[in-house]
Amino acid sequence: MTLTGFIAKNALRNKRRLSLSVTSVAVSLFLLVVLQVALRELTNPINDEGSSLRIIVRNKVSLAQPLPARQLQVLERIPGIAAITPFTFYGGLYKGDEKFTSFAQFAVDPARTLPLITDAKVPREQLEAWLADRTSCIVGKMTADRYGLKIGDRMQFTSQLYPADLEFKIVGIYEGTADDRNVFFHHKYLDESLGNPGTVGTWWVRAASIEEAPLVTARINQAFANSSAEVRAESERAFVLGFVSMWGNIQTLIGGISVVVVFALLLVTVSTMSMAIRERFRELAILKAIGFRRRELFAFILAESFGLAMLGGVLGVGGAYLLCNSLDIQKLSNGLFLLFEVTPRMVGFGFSVAALLGVLAAAAPMMTVARTSVVEGLKTLD
Amino acid sequence: MALPVRYSFRNALVRWRSTLATVLGIALVVFVFVLLQSLAAGIEKSSGNTGDPRNILVVRKGATAESASLISRENFRQIQYFEEIARTERGEPIISADVLVLINLPRRNNGGEANVLLRGVTPRGMELRPQVTLVAGRWFTPGKREVVVSAKLARRFANFDLGESFKSGTAQLTVVGWLDGGGSAFDSECWLDADEARAIFERDMYSSFLIRPKDEVAGTNLIARIENDRRFKLKAEKEVEYYRKQTMTAAPIKWLGGFLAVMMSVGAVFAAMNTMYAAVGARTREIGTLRVLGFRRRAVVVALLIEGGFLAFLGGVLGCALAFYWNGYTTATLGFETFSEIVFQFRVTPLLVIEGLVFAVIVGVIGTLLPAVRASRLPVIVALKSV
Repeated sequence: MTLTGFIAKNALRNKRRLSLSVTSVAVSLFLLVVLQVALRELTNPINDEGSSLRIIVRNKVSLAQPLPARQLQVLERIPGIAAITPFTFYGGLYKGDEKFTSFAQFAVDPARTLPLITDAKVPREQLEAWLADRTSCIVGKMTADRYGLKIGDRMQFTSQLYPADLEFKIVGIYEGTADDRNVFFHHKYLDESLGNPGTVGTWWVRAASIEEAPLVTARINQAFANSSAEVRAESERAFVLGFVSMWGNIQTLIGGISVVVVFALLLVTVSTMSMAIRERFRELAILKAIGFRRRELFAFILAESFGLAMLGGVLGVGGAYLLCNSLDIQKLSNGLFLLFEVTPRMVGFGFSVAALLGVLAAAAPMMTVARTSVVEGLKTLD
Repeated sequence: MALPVRYSFRNALVRWRSTLATVLGIALVVFVFVLLQSLAAGIEKSSGNTGDPRNILVVRKGATAESASLISRENFRQIQYFEEIARTERGEPIISADVLVLINLPRRNNGGEANVLLRGVTPRGMELRPQVTLVAGRWFTPGKREVVVSAKLARRFANFDLGESFKSGTAQLTVVGWLDGGGSAFDSECWLDADEARAIFERDMYSSFLIRPKDEVAGTNLIARIENDRRFKLKAEKEVEYYRKQTMTAAPIKWLGGFLAVMMSVGAVFAAMNTMYAAVGARTREIGTLRVLGFRRRAVVVALLIEGGFLAFLGGVLGCALAFYWNGYTTATLGFETFSEIVFQFRVTPLLVIEGLVFAVIVGVIGTLLPAVRASRLPVIVALKSV
């Protein structure tokens, strides 16, 4: 019998225990990876070239404070700006949704918006229809699919922020952006129903080049410094990261829970390994007696423990990977999670934890074996 | 019956290492469950603890929160003379038109920025909210750009110490006092004079009206009158009702708690099973002996279930104790309705403790069931022969 065969035979001799241990390791690692995925999704916004090129300008007081529409004239004169549109979060509840609508609606100036959503794929005639009709909107494909919407349908909204309940006609469906959920409609339509207050929520700006983007941000901030409506301009990515900072202690909490999960996992595996070794104490003593070195016994134990943990790792991490890639997480989480992607780094992390677990779980039994003399071991009955 | 039980107990002590691991494993599951649920309970409690049952709050229809509500001055002029509203001795209606502004401020120790809810409040509005007390400094003087911040927020945000000031909009606001909301949603607010707030933040509109009706009946009438009046697109409800419903933030936390508990309990059930199988395996002969002595199969199963259940119960107690350590600890996150930092405490309620314990015992019993049945099914002779 080869050494590998010996180890495998040993591991398999209590199949029930082996499968229980492997499954509990697998479940815990699965959980660990899923938590990491969720945490990343909440804290790490999508990062593409566009999101560094695009700039959001909001009121320095807070996002909820409007900006005067007359700022447009000043903004248009700032060098390095390739495109600019008013960009107002409408905060609508889609008809039928009780408390929460999973997609955002933005009031924009359609003609000015096109250069800002260059990655969106929309047929030309749909774009033209959008430009032409003041009450029309374009909808992201994800939202259209989710609600079974098609061109020509009407969407009714109750705004949570503005005293204006609007109805839009869908004239186009776009896809290909980082977040194909949003609805874009005419800012004029919103203005009119509010009695033309002369304000916008934010400005959406596209810098001419990546190199110029930070300069443009600085220039915008400078342009309105000490005015009655000071602004905060930042890249789209920085803007989203600002939300993350608002989450506050929840991040720490999820991190802390991950630690607890790993610790619980360690407990279970260590206890199983000690159990497995204890029951064959006598055999180990016999092996010692017939001339196996302590080092070799250690190798047996370590190999078994390591193998067990790794098998659990493959099942758990692999399971998480498969699940996250195959599930329609957007639908399941009601739009809270978009990507739910297992990154190579998380896979690496999961397996590192598994490896560490295998080694640590072997430590206790190894110590016992090392401390016990052959005679003592042979005497054991349990 | 007593013998198998006592026997189980002694056995658990002999196998203390794997027993301890099982107990700790279950304790951690219960800990995570109770902790997360106590967080959700804290949010609900802080919100549910807010307001005076006599008051009526009016916001714009469709607005999810006061901070997202806009009401015109015309509406104020119309409503303030409604005869359902109680009056002071000097004959003024008891109604407070407040303005709520979200302001973005830096946290302490460069912890990023977050939104804070600033309430422009009238003297009447302060009287209508007796839950709010001053704990340090003094109240603001209107017109002097002064603000009183929540003491709980003061620990989290930069420039919130007494005498310090921060800039927002065109104004430099000085902190002159700390308020305490008594565990209510007001713990997440900063107060300044209403007219001053409207001037600084260029608000023509109000955000909400807080009204004290003459009596219970007048209150009901007032709600109906405002809701049914075609001129207004307003929503009137009891202040306490309004706050009780502001619990959207708690929902995902509850969901996360439930999800984690279920997932982790699968691992814990397996761990318990492992321990109990080992316990049963090692005692096969003794179980056989018990059977020979005349104990029934059922007695053996029950004894083992009690053993497993009791161990899990211990784990549950430990888990609850760990979670209880956090009870009352103040934390904060982004409130979904107000879109601002909301402060609340972990609340380990008796109900949560019971839920945690029941959960633990269920995990223990499920984990023990298969090993126990296996033990009882062993033929007596085989059991006795085993080494």
